Amino acid sequence: MKYRLLAGGSVLVLTAALSACSPPSDSAGGDGRTTVDVWLMRDSVSDTFQKEFTADFEKRHPKIDVKIQIQEWDGIGQKITAALASNDAPDVIEAGNTQVAQFAESGGLLDLSDRTDELNGEDWLSGLAEPGAYEGKQYGIPYYAANRVVIHRTDLFEKAGIDAKAIKTREQWIDATAKLNKGGTQGIYLPGQLWYALAGFIWDEGGDLATESGGKWSGALDTPEALRGMAFYEELQALGKGPKDSDEDDPPQAEVMAQGQVAQVISTPGGANVIVEKNPELKGKLAFFPIPGKTAGTPGSVFTGGSDLVVPAAAAHPEEAVTFIKELTGDEWQKKLAVAMSYVPNRTSLASAVAGDPGAAAMAVGAANGHATPNTPGWAAVEAENPIKDYMTAVLTGGDPAKEAAQASQDITRAMNAGS
Amino acid sequence: MPVVAERTPAPRTPRQRPAPRPAARKDPAGRAHSLWPYALIAPAIGGMLYLLVYPLVRAVLISFQDFRLRQLIAGHAEFVGFRNYRTLLADPRFWEVVRRTFLFMAINVVLIMVIATLVALMVERLRRVGRTVVLCSLVLAWAMPVVAATTVFQWLFHSEFGIVNWALTSIGLDSFERYPWFANGTAAFAILVTLIVWQSVPFAAITLYSALTTVPLELYESARLDGAGAGRIFRSVTFPMLRPIFLLVFSLEVIWTFKAFVQIWVMTRGGPGDATTILPVYAVQTALSSQRYDLGSAASMITVVLMSGVLVLYFRQMYRQEDETR
Repeated sequence: MKYRLLAGGSVLVLTAALSACSPPSDSAGGDGRTTVDVWLMRDSVSDTFQKEFTADFEKRHPKIDVKIQIQEWDGIGQKITAALASNDAPDVIEAGNTQVAQFAESGGLLDLSDRTDELNGEDWLSGLAEPGAYEGKQYGIPYYAANRVVIHRTDLFEKAGIDAKAIKTREQWIDATAKLNKGGTQGIYLPGQLWYALAGFIWDEGGDLATESGGKWSGALDTPEALRGMAFYEELQALGKGPKDSDEDDPPQAEVMAQGQVAQVISTPGGANVIVEKNPELKGKLAFFPIPGKTAGTPGSVFTGGSDLVVPAAAAHPEEAVTFIKELTGDEWQKKLAVAMSYVPNRTSLASAVAGDPGAAAMAVGAANGHATPNTPGWAAVEAENPIKDYMTAVLTGGDPAKEAAQASQDITRAMNAGS
Repeated sequence: MPVVAERTPAPRTPRQRPAPRPAARKDPAGRAHSLWPYALIAPAIGGMLYLLVYPLVRAVLISFQDFRLRQLIAGHAEFVGFRNYRTLLADPRFWEVVRRTFLFMAINVVLIMVIATLVALMVERLRRVGRTVVLCSLVLAWAMPVVAATTVFQWLFHSEFGIVNWALTSIGLDSFERYPWFANGTAAFAILVTLIVWQSVPFAAITLYSALTTVPLELYESARLDGAGAGRIFRSVTFPMLRPIFLLVFSLEVIWTFKAFVQIWVMTRGGPGDATTILPVYAVQTALSSQRYDLGSAASMITVVLMSGVLVLYFRQMYRQEDETR
């Protein structure tokens, strides 16, 4: 990795230059078979699922070969940008639901509005379908959703004499966590920069990350509601040894929990599979409960995360791409995917598929109070730069919340309006 | 110098050969022969044009266009004259970044030059074993890949598992227990300076040391006989003798610190806040996070101009001094 003089300029131009070179697509073979190129994200499908799906798909569609590449979340925005700008884009790309608006605005995606009927558009999850639409047209096809729950160790809860099912409010949660946070055990491992969790606490208080007025967005971390959300985060974070200056990926929180000293983490239910994979001794000792809200009646607000499938405007085989999406988001494979990966299926009518899964059940409770990040192309710039993370670290390490929040809000405002 | 210049043509004369006969016999063959050098150099020139000149020209063009994500994907960028430059120059955040870039560069270059000179002088005075040890360490530090070194530094200062916090806590400084270095702007800036200085001192020190060995010992001897101390000898003998090398190393270090992008991007991405955002980082952030390729290109162009400005000023100063001393 060697950057020459003017690293900035070169990187730019590299990206730009991608649009200039166009290796011919070789995917149409001589035997009339077409290859559909697909990008899926890390942890979107397991190896086994991928193999089974590919085999089944190729059996049903003998004229189409499937080539799936697994991409990492880190830096995916730039990778998709480069792909959309090239003449050799993949045919199907999985994109985070918060990212679709930006790419749709740029004109790089195929408008799939007239295909929504055959793709079962009538009962899509709104948390996936809405971010996938831009100016009334549907670009992103809902793929799967997930929101965060509390993964906890049943054995440690039992030892401390706590009934996880009884935790319904924030106070009960804090009490239980404080009780667990004894000796070598961390009550909760909450890294300082898990901003999705903070967003939930802010929504609980009635605040938001950013608000729109007169077509202009501005950061809202400095409202009294948002400051109360941060105060709760700080209180909770102190009941464990989560590093104050990093997020859930550094170090990966599943690996931290796998070491056995942590009673709870906030994660999507799929995280439990990773924990058990890293430490098989914890098999059967992990369970889930929804993030508690302020009162027993309402669960805590959560960010509805998830993915949409998009087809680049430059895709060589748009028809085959739609066929692929149709199969992957169809009844059969959606149900299998939801069970295998602990995801919420893309349609409300399929929710019963995961009814028996404890992780998905906890997730479904939270999903009733699901929220989305601001639905505007400018939001992707905020996530790319992420002033929220700096803000959280600053407050957790003793900064003045009001002052830091004002600064962070200002940074969010700038980032959201920079692109326009 | 003149001695060398006069000597070079002399041995060439006997080697000159008459023009090869085949070339004279057939005209087309002769033309092909004269095209050979160009054909041979063409791939290199072509590669350079495509990899260096084309991107540069393209970046200049983009900096005069309205070029965002839409234009990147769909094409059809419009020319907007100097609008991007005006936007940048009117942005107080940009000037803050420029100020920080120069501060960063000045601190780094001064530290590098001072430490490298001291190391070079020390190596010259060491005996064989000590000299070998120091030179080997320098070469090893120098050979460390940039990203690897940056990652190591990142771990040294890690709040949870870093050896720096461990060492500070174990000597009794409890306030450093899990101290988040990268959450504090000044600390992050200082760590980056340390890293950059650590990475560049070896090159500067080895270059200066090898230059020091060329200074005739008699000069030192006579200076000492005249009663000059160490400081005076350095100022009046060593530095003037090595002025061209100092000039070279200085320029290289200015360029090196101005473009210290990789270290910052890997370690802090310009954060916390803007505390470690220097121009190249700013350009990449603007272009890739905000999708403002036009503003990013303009910022890169301004970076080039500023950097050339610094070097031109410095060269002029040095040449003027040289003329005066002659």
